[in-house]
Amino acid sequence: MTDFDISRMNVLIVEDNLHFRTLIRTILQTLGVESVEEARDGSEAFEVLSSFDADLAIIDWKMDGLNGLECVRRIRNDEDSPNRFLPIIMVTGYTEESLARDARDIGVNDFLGKPISAKSLMSRIIAVLEDKRDFIDAPNYFGPDRRRSQQEYMGEERRKK
Amino acid sequence: MSDDDTVNVIKPPDTLSAKVSKGGPGAVDLAAIERAESVIASMADSYLDWVEEDLVKISKAQAELKANRDNAAALLDKVFQVAHDMKGQGGSFGYDLMTILGNDLCRFIEGKETVSDVDLEVIDLYIGTMQIVISKRMSGDGGAEGNKVLTGLAAVVAKITGKG
Repeated sequence: MTDFDISRMNVLIVEDNLHFRTLIRTILQTLGVESVEEARDGSEAFEVLSSFDADLAIIDWKMDGLNGLECVRRIRNDEDSPNRFLPIIMVTGYTEESLARDARDIGVNDFLGKPISAKSLMSRIIAVLEDKRDFIDAPNYFGPDRRRSQQEYMGEERRKK
Repeated sequence: MSDDDTVNVIKPPDTLSAKVSKGGPGAVDLAAIERAESVIASMADSYLDWVEEDLVKISKAQAELKANRDNAAALLDKVFQVAHDMKGQGGSFGYDLMTILGNDLCRFIEGKETVSDVDLEVIDLYIGTMQIVISKRMSGDGGAEGNKVLTGLAAVVAKITGKG
């Protein structure tokens, strides 16, 4: 595992369950992150983001209020979004491939499966830090390039730099 | 999103390079991960308080479901939510059986819009088993007793659902 110093990162946790928020915050702080903010749902996340310059958002999939998918959709697409490029890790207890596809299709950078551990959370943070993908701005999508490699893409090349 | 049907490739702003470095005294190495895992382990007492609250919540939701079967979809969702939280938390604090039971209960409820007597009986069994796991502090895989509990539950569920 690459040894990153993440102490100066600003991290936003979006999770409706207090115990999960406490768990994620504790892990982050033990790993050295000093600046952690919390929101209980997607709407509150937007409020926090208006005054907190987050470098990473850790967003739960299933929440009361504005859920994780809708929250990501707003961050990526709303005109008043504070940061459309915000790296996002989605936390989910679901493992179905179709749900993962839904999340990728709205611009999530990476996933973290529950139950979480310090090791699993750090490995996802490293994946985001090492994620050098371009963003794609298309009529129906704004987010990290979903093509993992050029070889996987067999369609017509329509993109322009 | 793009206004027309053009697809644009954008290099995202690199805001993290200035804030994140490799190596140095603050770097997260294996020892730091182990320290963090120890801190989580030390939260086990808090977890036991939290899960007791969840057990009360799920029992209440189940009681509501039994009393109001006309509103089964919404009340099943309530049971599901708590089971889902229990599934997510158990393994983080070393209670792997809670993650297994929470997951199995979620899978059992998932997609149901109505509830039968058998369904209610099965949900009762899962909740009862989770209560046993916590009251007996069956952490990890629960050893031989844990295995017995899971096997016994599976057999009873199979029998009452007619899938045995």
